[in-house]
Amino acid sequence: MDQTRPQTSPKRRAKFIVGAAVLVLALVGLVGWAMNRSGATSFYLDVSELQAQGPTAGTQDYRVGGNVVADSLHRDGLTTTFDISDGSSSVTIVTDETLPDAFWTAYDNDPGSVEIVAQGRYDGERFAATQVLAKCPSKFKAKV
Amino acid sequence: MSLEVQGQGLTSVRSMAGLGHPALIAALLFAALALGLCLAGALRKRSDITEAGVRAVVASFAFVVVAVLSLLTALFARDFSLEYVANYTSESLPAVYTLTSLWGGMEGSLLFWTLLLTGFSTAALIRAPAQRAGLAAWAGVVLTGVAIFFLALLLGPADPFTTLASPPPDGSGLNPLLQSPGMVIHPPLLYTGFVGFSIPFAFAVAALASGRLDEAWFVSTRRWTLFAWSALSVGIVLGGAWAYTELGWGGYWAWDPVENASFLPWLTATAFLHSVVVQEKRRMLKVWNVSLILLTYVLAVFGTFLTRSGILSSIHTFTEGDTGKWFLPFLAAMLLGSFALVAWRLDSLRSENRLDSLVSRESAFLGNNLLFVAAAFTVLWGTIYPIVNEALTGVRVSVGPAFFNSVFVPIGLALVALTGIGPLISWRRMSKGSFWRVLRGPVSAGGLVAIGLGLAGIRSVGALLAFSLCAFTAVSLAGEFARGGRVYRTREGLGWPAALRRTLLRNRRRYGGYVVHVGILLIVIGFAGAAFRTERQQEIRPGDTMEVGAYTLAYEGSTRSETEEKQVNAARVEVLRDGQAVATLRPQRNFHFAQQQTQSEVAIRSTPVEDLYVVMTSLDADGTAVLRAFVNPLTWWIWMGAAVMAAGIAVLLSETKGSAVRVTAPQRRREPAVATR
Repeated sequence: MDQTRPQTSPKRRAKFIVGAAVLVLALVGLVGWAMNRSGATSFYLDVSELQAQGPTAGTQDYRVGGNVVADSLHRDGLTTTFDISDGSSSVTIVTDETLPDAFWTAYDNDPGSVEIVAQGRYDGERFAATQVLAKCPSKFKAKV
Repeated sequence: MSLEVQGQGLTSVRSMAGLGHPALIAALLFAALALGLCLAGALRKRSDITEAGVRAVVASFAFVVVAVLSLLTALFARDFSLEYVANYTSESLPAVYTLTSLWGGMEGSLLFWTLLLTGFSTAALIRAPAQRAGLAAWAGVVLTGVAIFFLALLLGPADPFTTLASPPPDGSGLNPLLQSPGMVIHPPLLYTGFVGFSIPFAFAVAALASGRLDEAWFVSTRRWTLFAWSALSVGIVLGGAWAYTELGWGGYWAWDPVENASFLPWLTATAFLHSVVVQEKRRMLKVWNVSLILLTYVLAVFGTFLTRSGILSSIHTFTEGDTGKWFLPFLAAMLLGSFALVAWRLDSLRSENRLDSLVSRESAFLGNNLLFVAAAFTVLWGTIYPIVNEALTGVRVSVGPAFFNSVFVPIGLALVALTGIGPLISWRRMSKGSFWRVLRGPVSAGGLVAIGLGLAGIRSVGALLAFSLCAFTAVSLAGEFARGGRVYRTREGLGWPAALRRTLLRNRRRYGGYVVHVGILLIVIGFAGAAFRTERQQEIRPGDTMEVGAYTLAYEGSTRSETEEKQVNAARVEVLRDGQAVATLRPQRNFHFAQQQTQSEVAIRSTPVEDLYVVMTSLDADGTAVLRAFVNPLTWWIWMGAAVMAAGIAVLLSETKGSAVRVTAPQRRREPAVATR
């Protein structure tokens, strides 16, 4: 088997290395570019970290997680407003988006039991969410 | 029967659950015995010892079957003294979903994994008698090693037979989201895909361990690879279909970590299916091929780990298990062990040929492989970046669909182009002149489509490129069928339909593959349609209307009814287009009693041009509803493409040439050589 194997010339080897380097650089470039696109990545913060961080700047969204404060929820047409808290501080979330079924399920059981993650932008006072995810109460064990 | 178990603390008499634990212990013991025997058979090259080992594998499988049956009887008997049964069923759960609760939870799904693993091991090992002394002995070692890991999980941290001291009167029931026909078959198909890769993986490791590094390891497991890949493909599509029809956000793929986990092994396995062709024809890419299949299986186990560990929050995994910490060392051992073997055998894995020219079939396959691996790398990067980043910097970051779509559109489009280029070029080398000659037709088709759609006012560059490349590749594939058919027409005087049929059936691997590619093109067309999606959301009172796309939705009110399981609130929405009534949609917002859970049911009017997709996201007592409506152009083609793909897969799987050695057919008829070229 060995004697039939073609020998690799140095020129060929150099070509191969250059080709591989170009491909790897192209891939790294693509990933780097994609990571910096608007909405590609977002900081994941709790409420106090959000307030320490201040308003959203640039292309990066924030994600903030916390527990919905009981009796803070108001609906006005499509807009829903509620507060979330991490135990020490709280922030108001405003959203025009649909809240997931899991949110209402938990809310109807016990308004103080809803754990959410909101993605969006923070102006220093209110958090305008483009997406709200609710964690299922563990009892349902939502697993697919 | 249920009257007999009122006394608490009694061992269960409702079902066979008591058999489960002992059966798992017996399965573990036999797996350990099989491991020892196969190892001895491999080291001493004694096929009689290996045969004894294979019998122990069969015994291990039989005891896993007993364990599965005992859990199933417990699920169907609603034996709530088992924690698993109490967690995933309820008295009102329909029978078909009682079956799905077998894999609805972590413990059950790991048991199901083990069932498939030992079953597939049995089937693969008893069908390979000629190879018992060599490859099969080592493959037996690998397969039983994996089985021991899963059986140990089932007897330790993921025990499906844990009993409750005080059984509840009713169980918490299966999540209503999972109570859908798609969910009956989606998880088992994914698991079949994941576990199916065990067989080629085991034979690849066996080839490395035994030094039998010719084509035997992948030729003898080709059907397993194809079978696993097919199951994974269909499973992924069904998952998308389920998300589309059940989750109500208007899409089918969210780049959720668990979706990615099933997609990663699919990408590397797809690369593998293509690159083994190069090894068969040209004896090249040996290291690459063996690495791809090792990687595929590691990613499949990684996928199981991601799904079940709760390490990444996703819709799939809101509960945390503690099985995660068991998976990591196992994964690390698999990864390091298999790549140490590759490094050890590197010298014997050299190519016997080299790339003659960049314009050759080999280099098209190589390009396809680089793109698939690049795609797998970017998906893996986006999936684990949050974990890595938090571990390194302490900053929690999440990666969203914008990242994945940005990297995937260019890679996907390049793959579509290569799908069209590949069949046009010959092996080894092709002159530039003849290359351009064969490209002429497809390129003009692609160009015409781009110009036509551009003139029609389509401005999305991604969509224009997608449609144009699909046209390019479609013409190239049509040319392949035409060339093949022409041969049979002239040689055997057949009409076109018969000639095309013969083309397809005489070389199933090649033309079946092309049919799969046609399906992929249709799916890409469907994906490109997403560029033109529109969405509206509105609070609406009975008698009001809302507009979305070219449609007017007239909300007429809602009705309430009750079944044993749920309260059904169905809205009645008349759909008008240009003043004409075209459909009545009935989106629902239901309340499931057992789970105390509200859930929306989507209403979809699907046509080849576009889907109208309506969800009722809230409903007040006075009948005021919030409706969210999407117009999703071309989504219909995704499911149509999937059907075409499935047809192509059926052709591929029906091929008998070069399949695993069969005991029943010792002398196989050789198929005539390729009809064209």
